[in-house]
Amino acid sequence: MDLTKRNGALGKGVLAFGLASALVCSAAELRIGNGGEPLTLDPHRYNLNLEEKILTDLFEGLTAHDAAGNIVPGAAESWSTSDDGLTWTFRLRPNARWSDGEPVTAEDFAFAFRRLLNPATAASLAYFLYAIDGAEAVNAGDAPPSRLGVAAVDSHTLRIRLREPFPFLPERLIYPTGFPVPKHVVEKHGDRWVRAGTMVTNGAYTLADWQPQAFVRLRKNPHFHAADDVRVNTVTYYPVADRNAAYNRYLAGELDIVGDFPPGEIERLERERAGQVHVAPLLSIMYLVFNTTVPPFDDVRVREALALAIDRHRLTQKVLRSGERASASFVPPIVAGYESAVAARPVDVGAARALLEAAGYGEANPLAVTLRHIAGADNKKVQVAIAAMWREIGVATQLHHAELNAHFAALRQGEFQVAQAGWFGENNPEHYLELLMSAAGDVNYGRFQLAEVDALMASAKRSAVLGERLAWLRRAEAVASAAHPVVPLYSVTTRSLVSERVGGWLPNPRNTHPVRYLRLLPPRR
Amino acid sequence: MFRYLLRRLAFSLVALWAVASVAFFLVRAAPGGPFDGERRLPPAVEANLLAAYHLDESLPRQYVRYLGMLAEGDLGPSFRSKDFSVNELVAQGLPVSLLLGGGALLLAIGAGVAAGTWAACHRERWRDRLVALLATLSLAVPPIVVAPALVLAFAVQLRWFPAGGFESVAHLVLPVVALALPYAAAFARLARGSVAEVLARPHVLTARAKGLPMPRIVARHVLPSALLPVVSFAGPAAAALLTGSMVVEEVFSLPGLGRYFVQGALNRDYTLVTGAVIVYAGLVLALNFLADLCLARLDPRIRHA
Repeated sequence: MDLTKRNGALGKGVLAFGLASALVCSAAELRIGNGGEPLTLDPHRYNLNLEEKILTDLFEGLTAHDAAGNIVPGAAESWSTSDDGLTWTFRLRPNARWSDGEPVTAEDFAFAFRRLLNPATAASLAYFLYAIDGAEAVNAGDAPPSRLGVAAVDSHTLRIRLREPFPFLPERLIYPTGFPVPKHVVEKHGDRWVRAGTMVTNGAYTLADWQPQAFVRLRKNPHFHAADDVRVNTVTYYPVADRNAAYNRYLAGELDIVGDFPPGEIERLERERAGQVHVAPLLSIMYLVFNTTVPPFDDVRVREALALAIDRHRLTQKVLRSGERASASFVPPIVAGYESAVAARPVDVGAARALLEAAGYGEANPLAVTLRHIAGADNKKVQVAIAAMWREIGVATQLHHAELNAHFAALRQGEFQVAQAGWFGENNPEHYLELLMSAAGDVNYGRFQLAEVDALMASAKRSAVLGERLAWLRRAEAVASAAHPVVPLYSVTTRSLVSERVGGWLPNPRNTHPVRYLRLLPPRR
Repeated sequence: MFRYLLRRLAFSLVALWAVASVAFFLVRAAPGGPFDGERRLPPAVEANLLAAYHLDESLPRQYVRYLGMLAEGDLGPSFRSKDFSVNELVAQGLPVSLLLGGGALLLAIGAGVAAGTWAACHRERWRDRLVALLATLSLAVPPIVVAPALVLAFAVQLRWFPAGGFESVAHLVLPVVALALPYAAAFARLARGSVAEVLARPHVLTARAKGLPMPRIVARHVLPSALLPVVSFAGPAAAALLTGSMVVEEVFSLPGLGRYFVQGALNRDYTLVTGAVIVYAGLVLALNFLADLCLARLDPRIRHA
């Protein structure tokens, strides 16, 4: 007891110091918990979603997201497409400027695209823009970067030529791989241009300070074309890889936004901090994939039987319970402008057993399956539930788990029977359905091959008219789905905590929240 | 003495080379590579990446290249943190780890010696038992449990200290405590044992018989000789505290070297992991050297051996 009394003054002193420092940092800036340390802030070398978040505040591509995740004009104010869908002409904003005051020109974009695809840049996501004519050859070193199908027609007009029609180009240009880089700065500083002090950007913010593993601090770019609408002056991204640590720092009032929290906390949070919890479906599909090259999974009857036994709603509503959306279609239900050709079928144990019987499996000769999944409690729960559903139709399931990278390495090499997989990303059906083409390579984990699907997908990829293209895709999905190469399960959700001092946050299926649309609200009394 | 120093230095260099070589081959033997991911890269892209970091060369050639860079004091480019070199990352992370480890060492010695001495002066009474209980608890519960508990109590509930990050001295208080606790316990046990032993010696009895007050006896006649084991344990403890702060750095999001080490290992960032191992090895060697020098000063038998 004595001890505490004697140390009371010291405790108070430290307390006051702690409070003062907390107040000083919180008054003027937005503090965001990011999932880890960015490995680079060079838009052409980026690889991670947590880097994309920061880069989206720093740069603006030809197209951009609005606060709700819709695609809107970015550095380009308008664009047009030729009738054959191969030539795209972008008109840049006349008032667009780099953070050093220089104008953003079409040549900056042409320079950027050539840099991205130049083999010397070693960009791991260079293939995002393989749709551009000559891109693949340039990236492989078979053609000089000057052969790339991009050209600055004049200072503010950029022309992009594609190798085949691709109506989803505006969406593809959203990623940092499509961001411009300041030619005059990159040529001067080389690879060392990504430094606070030398880095020049064209987005709503510029890089003010970067202390690795501590924080990345951005300051408002006064030259940004919409600077008048940008309310937050300073934003700091803190790398917090551990979900629990991020959650604690949010609860302690040190972070204003965190992109994830422990799933077990959701009920308590919704009770105590109702307005701060944001759960939104993400453009994604979690699914099971069959290795169609190994028996008995080369038999469509076996695949269909296993698919028929799975109750998706039980997975989403009884097992996961975090707002996941069940999906019978391989295209996530929230993809806009696409109506899936596949209707959900109810669980049918009788039909599944009959199919297995026809394939030669029954009581006397039960089917044994090894189901591979990614390590982690959430994944495990789902796979255990699936194994239980398969037991209903007399199938014995053995679970095998591995850490994420090892899991996908095994899938790419075809070392599995049935496996959990997931695909994330875009707001168009093609992004998902093209995984079922035989030409998809490694990412068609099950090596599924059906000539009719390939032909329908090829027709889709040839059509420049969006409606026509979607119709081909729909037919391809119907044919592929009948062959059950995969069992679509559900779309995942994102769980964010947003402090009451932040305004302008709109949950959206892309989970994109550029800081230029956010604002700090005065404290409520 | 000069020849002794020279011999030690040469030995340290050989040890560093051995550590660097083992680390170099060991990280490359781990499954997976720095550029593995969910999706395999197109062959052209993968070839570009491998060429950029000389990973397309044979292992012996990479090894020679690496040793050449080391000889110039260059730990190489980080494979994954593309905008920084390993030297820059170490320069950023090492001071934080040193501050954390140094603070923890001071706290551990200060608190441990005080508690141990206090316990020894009240042997076999409740105060002694209380210290023994606390020490056992601190030793038994690892930082990975203590650190989050401290965050919940003092950051989330009481809001006295920040829960993580590194921007002011206040940010270091909880991590230093979490890191220091088990070592404070070890120092307390050590101090209690040797203080109790010295207290029983005849010269202390004489001092008490002369009527000297107890605090004076402890300060003048007990601690100087009772602290020798504490000093000799301080060397290894310092090395362990400076190189063993990974868990605490992770929980408190401190930008220290330990965090680079862990994340470098997870990301298969070969140069970063090897570089961190070399820096750690250098620290341990330097501290052992320092401890040897101190002991040689204190104990003439070592000096002349």
